[in-house]
Amino acid sequence: MITLDRISKTFPGTDIPAVDRVSFQVNAGNICVFVGPSGCGKTTILRMINRLEEPSSGRITVNGQDIMSLDPAVLRRTIGYVIQQIGLLPHKTIEQNVSLVPELLNWPKSKIKARVTELLVLVGLDPGTVGRKYPHQLSGGQSQRVGVARAMAADPPIMLMDEPFGAVDPIVRIHLQDEFLRLQQHLKKTICFVTHDINEAVKMGDYLIILNMGRLIQMGTPLEVLTEPADDFVLNLLGDDRGVKILDLTRCETLMDRDRNFPYNPDSCLIQSVKPVKIALELMMKKNIDQVGVCKGERIVGVLTWNSIKEHISRVSRDRP
Amino acid sequence: MGFISFIQNNSGLVLEYTLNHISLVLTVLVLSLGLWIITGLIISRHDRLAGAVISLSNILFCIPSISLFGLFMAVPGLGLGRNTAVLVLVIYAMMPLVRSVYLGVKSVDYFVMEAGKGMGMTPSQILFRIQIPMAWPTVFAGIRVSVVLITGIATMATFIGEKNLGRLIHQGITRGNADMIIAGAVIVSLIALLLDYIMGRIEKKVISPGLRYRTND
Repeated sequence: MITLDRISKTFPGTDIPAVDRVSFQVNAGNICVFVGPSGCGKTTILRMINRLEEPSSGRITVNGQDIMSLDPAVLRRTIGYVIQQIGLLPHKTIEQNVSLVPELLNWPKSKIKARVTELLVLVGLDPGTVGRKYPHQLSGGQSQRVGVARAMAADPPIMLMDEPFGAVDPIVRIHLQDEFLRLQQHLKKTICFVTHDINEAVKMGDYLIILNMGRLIQMGTPLEVLTEPADDFVLNLLGDDRGVKILDLTRCETLMDRDRNFPYNPDSCLIQSVKPVKIALELMMKKNIDQVGVCKGERIVGVLTWNSIKEHISRVSRDRP
Repeated sequence: MGFISFIQNNSGLVLEYTLNHISLVLTVLVLSLGLWIITGLIISRHDRLAGAVISLSNILFCIPSISLFGLFMAVPGLGLGRNTAVLVLVIYAMMPLVRSVYLGVKSVDYFVMEAGKGMGMTPSQILFRIQIPMAWPTVFAGIRVSVVLITGIATMATFIGEKNLGRLIHQGITRGNADMIIAGAVIVSLIALLLDYIMGRIEKKVISPGLRYRTND
């Protein structure tokens, strides 16, 4: 668990604080996304958590321990760190790059070797062919994977990720995001994730922390932020397709009508209750129909209608006074 | 090919001068590498000092060698001979070595060091495991320049009593003996080429294959 208590940071030579009295808490096992325009302080906040920057005032604790009481180098070895530029050591092989933190922690050689192999497989690289290569021989997507593997090498409970998928093309990015979410499902790391891309934030985050000019504007789950944006800044940040984004995050079971009868027909348009409403909508448009049956396993549990979707979006995205 | 017969007829003398020349160059090389690489590393961490040290090395490098030999010869305790020769040549090696070490260390990618720091490397681990290995290509370029430079300027040390190949060239000029001049010049060039070749081989061993691609593109 990471706790920030009234953290401020003013860089030398400036009057305006880069981070202004920000407090929040990141619970264990969650992905918390810091999102906002450039210069909003999101990277500065991230870098204060592993003491690459020191706060001007306030207190940061990691698992109850004030980080100012720890040796910065020792603290950083327990926190995975991934940056957009990756920063692989060009003079070392991929294996050596991934071994870096375990070596700093003086793990025995055999344990390091086994761990490196395990990690490369985990991030979808072939240890036999990629392990002996040098960073310049890898593609952008492969390098990003190595960056993530290196950060996870010593199995840190916490990871800080600063636009980790920012430097690859959109197709590879989506692929890496999906894979990372799949990994996170069983790794359950506590992750702070920085991005300026609201779509990435909504997709990756269990919690969003929305920042502007060093201030925390809103925090909450993606759905909370989408349905109840705190102000015009958040509304703008969310973009013109807020309603459609909500449909991606709302499960069919949330909007379905449980009482309505629906003729069971194995060929008819059935959708699982945990699927996002977006998928049901796609089905309706494709088959030119107004309602689909919602199932739990083989059993039909309700009906989702075009009208209930419309009403829901209209209700949550009404222009506020 | 008169200079070949000159070498054959004076083989004992030529050999003595050649060995003297090589031993002078090697002595200077060892001292310079130790002294100037450390200096380069120190100034890479102190920016204010760096400006002053590099300016000083530029100024020293611009002084004509013959006058520098003359000046130091007059310093009590140095006088004629090996000590003065070594001192002056070490000064000439300063500019290429200090500058290449400084530039090599300074030009290491910011994000590579940032990643190292973020993973928990201490400043000295960053220096020895990232900055120095990544600086080698630039440093070696500097070392190879200084080797050739020292070998050439060492000929001037003949004026302060060094019995090296410079003496063949100098006496060749005063006697109007072209073969003698050519013999001296050719052997000096061969020594420079040989040392450069050896340095090239060492370079291949020391520099990581991960960095070598940079010289190709």
